[in-house]
Amino acid sequence: MMESSPFNLRRVIIWIGRLVLGGIFIYAGYSKIFLPIIHPHPPIGVALSFFAMQVDSYQLLPPRGVNFVAHTLPFAEVVLGLLLLIGWRLRIWAVIVTLIMVGFFAAVVRSYALGLQINCGCFANPEPLTIKTVFRDGSLAALALLMTIFAFFEARQPHPWSPTNQA
Amino acid sequence: MVTLLGLSFVLLAQARVAQSSSAVSDIDPHTAFGSKTAPVVMEIFSDFQCPACKTLYTATNGKLMDNYVNVGKVYLIHRDFPLTMHAYSRVAARYARAAAQIGKFEPVEQVLFQNQEKWEQNGDVDGTVVSVLSAADLAKVRALVKGGTLDAAIDKDFALGQMYRVNQTPTTVFHCKGQTYPYPGVMSYEILKQFLDQLLSQR
Repeated sequence: MMESSPFNLRRVIIWIGRLVLGGIFIYAGYSKIFLPIIHPHPPIGVALSFFAMQVDSYQLLPPRGVNFVAHTLPFAEVVLGLLLLIGWRLRIWAVIVTLIMVGFFAAVVRSYALGLQINCGCFANPEPLTIKTVFRDGSLAALALLMTIFAFFEARQPHPWSPTNQA
Repeated sequence: MVTLLGLSFVLLAQARVAQSSSAVSDIDPHTAFGSKTAPVVMEIFSDFQCPACKTLYTATNGKLMDNYVNVGKVYLIHRDFPLTMHAYSRVAARYARAAAQIGKFEPVEQVLFQNQEKWEQNGDVDGTVVSVLSAADLAKVRALVKGGTLDAAIDKDFALGQMYRVNQTPTTVFHCKGQTYPYPGVMSYEILKQFLDQLLSQR
């Protein structure tokens, strides 16, 4: 049966989503917290206030909101990335990651449409927000959405290696 | 022994402070503001015809000058980065450079940004700077612009920007304690202030 195979398309997409999004989230959070491209490495306070300028450039939030996002998002990215890779309570974290990715995508599309000459702020390196960024974020948001939908769908199926399924 | 240790500590601290501005090359003193020994150096790669550069100048630079540059915390350097997509930005950069050579950079920079929407329509940069220069100064500026010697300095700034991988304006490059932070885009003063305070509090 298709549903009982550990390698059906839905499961493959869930695995790809977990690996790709988990890896990207961990790297994105790490690069914002530690700024690996800057030598000698700055303290975390400097790195987070540098990220705050990038959040601010989107012109979406007041200064308090900018500070809240800049001081929580990088840590949330690392934790969510790890949770995706671990796979424990996957559906909860997949939903949160999807909401975050859709939020990123909406912010990027808005900035691109308004012609804002800003830095993406996605990773530590200065990266202008271009159509490439829009497609990349759109693809990742779509992957996150598919992963979440399939995670819920697969949760209704018996696990391929469960005793009931083997019987 | 204690005195020697104290002296070496002071010398080391001074060397670290001086490191920021010495890490930056080709500084034209006419387009730089503040103290050369300031712990933070900001190089702003700017294009006079770029709307985002105008936003940065009008919304942020004034407070930055008052609270950081004029009190010796930040050394601010203007860098010309005229984008080819803007028809008159190089002409404007020439006028600003010429004005800088006679010590009139600030009023010319201000009038160019404040009237950007007007002169970018017809390229009348000369007519724009007339309002802030005396007849004698205007004659000197025009002579310098016609002399054709200003492009070398503008090209030098542009080449420096390319070295930093600047590909949009404004791009600000922060230097502090041997670290270099390139930042493309506009910054609001409140958030920039936090970043500068963090840089200044680094030990």
